[in-house]
Formats: sequence, structure tokens, C-alpha cells
Amino acid sequence: MSTLRVDHTTPSGAGAAGAGTLAGALSATPGLAEAVPGLPTSELKKANRLQTSALNNKLVNDYWTDVFNAKEEGKLVCWYEGVAINPIMQAADIRWVHGEAWSALLAARKNEGPAQDASEERGYGAELCSYARTHIGCGVLSQKRGKEASGASFADALGAGTLAENVPEPDLFISAYPYCSTGQQWDEMLYRLFGKKVPIFNISIPWVWGNKPDARFLGGEEFEEAVTFLTKQLEACVAWLEEITGKPYPWDRLYEIMGYTKEAGQLRMEAMKLCSARPSPASFFDWTTSIAPVNFVPGGPPIVDYFTQVKAEIQQRVTDGVGSIPNERYRLFWDGIMNWNKIGWLANKFAGYDATIVAGRYTHMGFWHIHDVIDVQDPLRGMAINYLVCPINLSGPLMIDEICKLSEEYEIDGVVLHAARTCRAFSNPQFMIGNAVSKRLGLATASFEGDMVDDAFYKDELVNSRVEAMLEGIDARRLVRA
Amino acid sequence: MSNDMDDTHPSLTAFEQVASDPLGYAQRHKEATGRLVIGSFPMHFPGELAHAAGTLPTIIQESEDPITAGHGMVHPFYCGYTRSVVDQAVKEEFGVLDAIMFGDHCVQVLGAADTVRSLLPKAKVHFYQLISSMSDPWSFERARETFVQAREGMEELVGRSIDDADLAASVRTFNHNRQLIRRIYELRREGLCDLTARQLQHVVKSSMVMDKDEHNALMETLVADVEAGEGPRTGGVRVYLSGHFCQAPKPELLDLIEECGGVVVDDDLYHGQRYISTDVSEELEGMDGLAHWYQERNLRVPCPTRVDQNADWEEHLLGQMERARADAMIVLMAKFCEPHMYYYPEIKEAFERRGVPHLLLETEHEMGTFEPMRTRVETFLEIARRQRAGKAVA
Repeated sequence: MSTLRVDHTTPSGAGAAGAGTLAGALSATPGLAEAVPGLPTSELKKANRLQTSALNNKLVNDYWTDVFNAKEEGKLVCWYEGVAINPIMQAADIRWVHGEAWSALLAARKNEGPAQDASEERGYGAELCSYARTHIGCGVLSQKRGKEASGASFADALGAGTLAENVPEPDLFISAYPYCSTGQQWDEMLYRLFGKKVPIFNISIPWVWGNKPDARFLGGEEFEEAVTFLTKQLEACVAWLEEITGKPYPWDRLYEIMGYTKEAGQLRMEAMKLCSARPSPASFFDWTTSIAPVNFVPGGPPIVDYFTQVKAEIQQRVTDGVGSIPNERYRLFWDGIMNWNKIGWLANKFAGYDATIVAGRYTHMGFWHIHDVIDVQDPLRGMAINYLVCPINLSGPLMIDEICKLSEEYEIDGVVLHAARTCRAFSNPQFMIGNAVSKRLGLATASFEGDMVDDAFYKDELVNSRVEAMLEGIDARRLVRA
Repeated sequence: MSNDMDDTHPSLTAFEQVASDPLGYAQRHKEATGRLVIGSFPMHFPGELAHAAGTLPTIIQESEDPITAGHGMVHPFYCGYTRSVVDQAVKEEFGVLDAIMFGDHCVQVLGAADTVRSLLPKAKVHFYQLISSMSDPWSFERARETFVQAREGMEELVGRSIDDADLAASVRTFNHNRQLIRRIYELRREGLCDLTARQLQHVVKSSMVMDKDEHNALMETLVADVEAGEGPRTGGVRVYLSGHFCQAPKPELLDLIEECGGVVVDDDLYHGQRYISTDVSEELEGMDGLAHWYQERNLRVPCPTRVDQNADWEEHLLGQMERARADAMIVLMAKFCEPHMYYYPEIKEAFERRGVPHLLLETEHEMGTFEPMRTRVETFLEIARRQRAGKAVA
């Protein structure tokens, strides 16, 4: 085991950077090549971050700046969670706060504590979804102040962070959570927290289960029925937004936005496919950093430009034989959601193990990955399909098939199962996935606990020992094969 | 403490035996009748459909056994019910079940459904996801469509169509069962029922498992016995129990509350009032009736696994407390139960605003010792007793 051991110290915080200014604070999204305090960087193998990832910061900055300025600019603000319904709001000229993104950003700034404390003080248990606890905690804090308007209501409770001072309170809620019951309940609790005065629209997304023999990925009677049901709800949501805004819905604007979104989704998937090269030119950690433009950043030319540049950089790396880590000896798949306050830490940890996390369920099985079904002149059905086949909404058999396909496509040696303690939606099928990839593909696996935005559930030494055991297992299999 | 094998209420002996070995009952029933046995998950799947198809519907229960092999298929940070069901599946204890039908949407139950399907390749494991947003314009129709799909799945399973008249008869049988149990609850609220909380749990839990006609016959006797009984239970702090959805609270915990001086006068437990709160309309067409029942029961006893802008659980509880003239409420929360965790602060704040005593007890599948809980319950009931005395003086 000692041959695999790399240097580990306390995870470096991404939130240390950029305090004091809005731009600086927003730039605090976890980096991929953070130095580990206390050790000379030359002694460490570090992830070779995509240079174009830095462009993501501007997109994210611009998005949050628009959100913070919403009230001053007379815009309505929607709080929502779950799938990327933001194009629907963008077309209606409504600004949107994506709860997970907001919680992840606070965590990245190490500023999630006060909000989580506030939710715990109100009685929300620590075993609840940490995204929800953080987001609802912000609502609790604002309610304590009894302020109707946005602005300073978050400020003193969340410390000096400029982000916290600027997020506006909601004018409407939309709940559109796939699979996980917690999403709908999270929105309901926010609705109740704000005194049932803020209108809410619930979109129910059926789980893709498959009772009937014809059930398959993207097909079968039940799937078609689910697509139709979801599409009708999206249409009803648009009608509801017309009531809220008092204006006819600008469908042409949605078509235009979805044109950019589809193109961005296509470029992203094309860039991902280039990572079948050895060494892989980009990693799962690069793709997590690039989630924002296909999740909550406004649809427009900038997101197309972003993925055009990402793809070009990756293509160049393939041409030059440059990998996302210095020495790729293992190619891994990451199952589970990201540990947002440890992206850089984990990227460097796996680089230290000579292991590239080439692909992942979270990044590769969602976020407009089925872009070709989107008819930009009639996009709701294609949007519904993408929502239905997001990374958590497929039942085990369908999900496992897709994971096996990706594992073969990217020539994966082992699967890391990150059991996010408070995201049972992602953790649910992991034993089945582990068993399946082991039996079908002969892959080694490693499972460890962590969380999205609650540091308390991550135990670094356990991660080390389990990953090292898996890598030794891969080595042993190679020896046997040789 | 409690032993139902007494001469006062002979029906309770049968109820306790079934409640303590649900799968054993199902096996015996299957051998005796040749009927298929359909397991369903709590809390919203209508057993009437399976009954009308000529099968024995039985709600899968949490086992008392330690969870061991199951932890190879489910994370330890899941509720006891989910882990227990997976554990039972891994241990191949569901052999008596010809099919399992799911209808809920709690994320942990969804995980269990997937896992159980993977573990039981020979059993039909169907999932019919009931819409959980209850007050949308399409909620009724969506629930109706889901029941239609479940009916079709049931028909496919038994190889014949379900006759509307049979479904109507099953609805009447189930309604009668609910009415009989509700009668016991009424008597308990009025202090005219000498059954303990443990015994009431056996009544409800056995109803979830047994053939309804058989249960009804025993219930008729029990109701008659209780109505002719010795009269009111007096003294003690009148306690309302709330929470605990999919799994039954440990009987030892119910005993403890009563040993500490509480008298459980009402509840909204799933193994209690929640299960029997609402009858299916005998006037509406079958699927309409079930959809109406599904929506109506959430208004009668709001469920935190649902979102419903027309229902407020905390206000419901305060109203029920008043109806039962309860002095205090004990909230039983199963560890890792996310829906309950989400809703609890609403209840806590409402009860604090009204000055109604309440105590939260977190329960686990692996309850090592009840003694620390005893101290808390004793203290809480003493506070409630003094508060009641203070009100009486005022």
C-alpha cells in the first residue's frame, strides 16, 4: 500500500481566495490546481487544469451579478431547484436563483456555516439534504429579519461575504425536481417559510422505472407517457408565468435561447468524447467546473463560445498528447454528485495517485447530454426528455446500462462511488452499480462517504485507504492478465 | 409489559400473532387458500385493487431482526424501514410474495424499490408513482391514471380483468374494516376503551397484513367487547402520538410512555389513525373513487411526504389535540426520515406559539436501550401534568 501513498494534508479551502470584492468572491469557485499548504508544490503531482476553465468564472460572475441586481432593475426573481428550467424563465425576463448553485457557492466560499446553523436552529436535522439546509437556512435568516425586500437581509448573518448581501428574496418559486422527494419538500418548506405568500408552481417529474417489457433508455410506452405528462406541465408553467408577468410569453425568445443551449450541449458532449484519448485531456473535475454554463448560466452566445474554446483546448491536448494529470496510469469513473468544497483537493489527490477520473454519472449523464432531441422551434418536449433522463432519474437497470457504456467507451479501470451522505438520490443505486460494473466489466470499485456542501461527512483518511485499495486491486488484475 | 393474550379481548391474541409474524401469516394464508400474495409498500398503495383481483394484499413491515446482510446493498444512513426491507430481501425472506407493488415517492423508498427489484428477479416488482403534489390542477387526473396503470398491472399479474363489481365489494370490505377500527379510536378518545397503545398497534398492523374479511370478523368481536367493557381509563397525562410513517413504533416505546404516566388517547401514526382515516367513496366509479380517496386522506391527515397547499399538518395536529383533549404531544421521528425532518420545524413552531407541550423522540431500528428515553418522557409528562394543573387552577 505504501507505494501508492501520496502526501495528504488538510484540504485547502477554495473560499480563501478573492474575499472582499464581488468579483473576487465569485471567482472563488474551487480551482483545480490549488496548492496544498505546508508542502512545496514541486513535491506534488497536480491536476493539469484546462486553461479555458477560467473563462467559466466570468460566466458565473455575470450570472450572479445579474441576480444581485435584479430588484434594482425591476426584475422578478424565481427561486428553484432541480433540473435546468432556467431557459423558460430567461425567456420571460425573470431572474433565477438555483438553490443548489447558491448553496455550492456559499460552500466554496466557506460561508455556508451560518445558513446551515440557522436551519439547524429552526429544527432541520443535519441528515437532511445539505443543499436544502443551506438554502432554507438563508430563508430562515431573512425571515428572522422580517424584511420584505432583498438586500441586506442576509448580510450580517452570513458574515462579510458580498454574495450573501446581494441575493434577492423570491417573487416566485418553481419546483421541478427529478426523482428525489427532498427537492419538492425543500421548495414546499421555502413556500411555507415565506408565509405562503410567494406563488409556487410544482412540476412533477415521473421516475423512469420501467414496468413494461418495452422499457428502454429513451423509449417505451411508459417513457413516452412520462414525456407527454412532463411536457404538458411545462406548457402549464409557461401559462402560469404569463399570469405572473402579465405578459404574453415570448416563445421566439425561448427558441433562440434553446438554440444556444442545444449547441452548447452538443459541443460539450463532443469535447467529452475526445477524452477517450490516452491520456485523457480533461477530467471529471474539469467537467464539474464546467457545469454552470449548462445548468444555470443564461443561454446565449457566451455559453456556445465557452464550450467551443473548451473543445478546442481539449482537441489541442489530444494532438499534443497532454493529459489532465501528469502521469495517467489509471482511468476511473466517478459515480455520485460532487463534493463542491473539495474539487481542487480531490483533483490533486487523484493526480497524486496517477489516476484520471475520466468520466462521471453527474457530468456525463445529464445537462443537455441528449441535445439532439431538442427541436429549437418546439423545444419543450426535448427539454422534458433531457429532464427525465438526468443523472438520478433513471431506475437501476437503465442507469447501469448507461454507466457500463460509458465505462467501456472511456476504457475505465475502476469506479469511485462517492456516497453523498445527504444526497440519497445519488447514493441510492450505488451498491447495484458497484456490483454490476464488477460483474459485467470486471472493474474494481471504491466507496466512501462525503457530501455536497457539508464538510462534516468527508473523512479524508478513509478516502485514501479505500482508493489505494482499489488501485492496488487494479494493479493486481493487470498482473494476472499479463 | 403488555401481553394481549388475555380473556378480555380474545381477538387481540390473533392480532398480536399476525402483527409479530406478518410473512408467516401470509405463508399460512397462501397455503390454505392458494391465493397469490401481493406485498405493497406503505403508505399510499390501495390494497383494494389487489383484494379485488383475488389476491391477499399485505403491507410489507419492518422486521424486528437486526439489519446485517442488507448493509451490503443499502447505506447505513437510511431509515430503519428501508434498510430492514432491503435486509429481508437479501435474506430471501420475501419468498411468499408473488409480487411487490410500490406507490410512494420518498427517495429512500425509491432506492429500496430499485434494490428489491434487483434482489428478487423471480418476483414481479412494479412501481406506480403516485403524484405527490396534491393540489395541482392535474393532481386528481394523474392519480387516477396511476391507479388505472396499477389496475392493469394487477390484471396482468393475475391473468384476468378485475371486475368493477369485485372492486366495489373490496372497497366496501376495506371501508368496513376502517370503520371498525375507527370506532375503537373513538372509544379511546372518549376514555371508553381499555386497550393499550401496544394493543392498538396490533389491531392496525394486523389489518395491514390479514385477509380483510377475517380481520373484520375479529374486529366485530373486539368492538362489541370494548363497548361492553368496564369503562373509562382514568388518570395520567393524555398523550397524542404523532409521526412514525412507514414503520410501526417499537411496542416497547409505547409501553414506556404509558409506564411513565401517559395515556395515549389519539395519534396520527401510520400504524394508527393515518391508515384508517379515510374511506373510499362507494358512490364514485372505481378509479375515480381511489383518486378521490388519495387526495381526501391527505386533507384528513396531512402527510409530509406530500406537498399540498390545502393542508397544514401543524394546524391539523393542534385541532386533533383539542378534539382528543390531549395534554401533550409526543413526536416519534424515525431517524433519517427526510419528509418528517422537513416538516417538523413547522410543527415545533406552531406548538410553541400555542404553548402546547410537545416532545421529539428520535427512534431507530437499532434501539439499544430505552432507559435514557424514559427519563426524558418522565420529565416531559411531569411538565405537561403541571401545566394542566396550572390551567385548571387558572
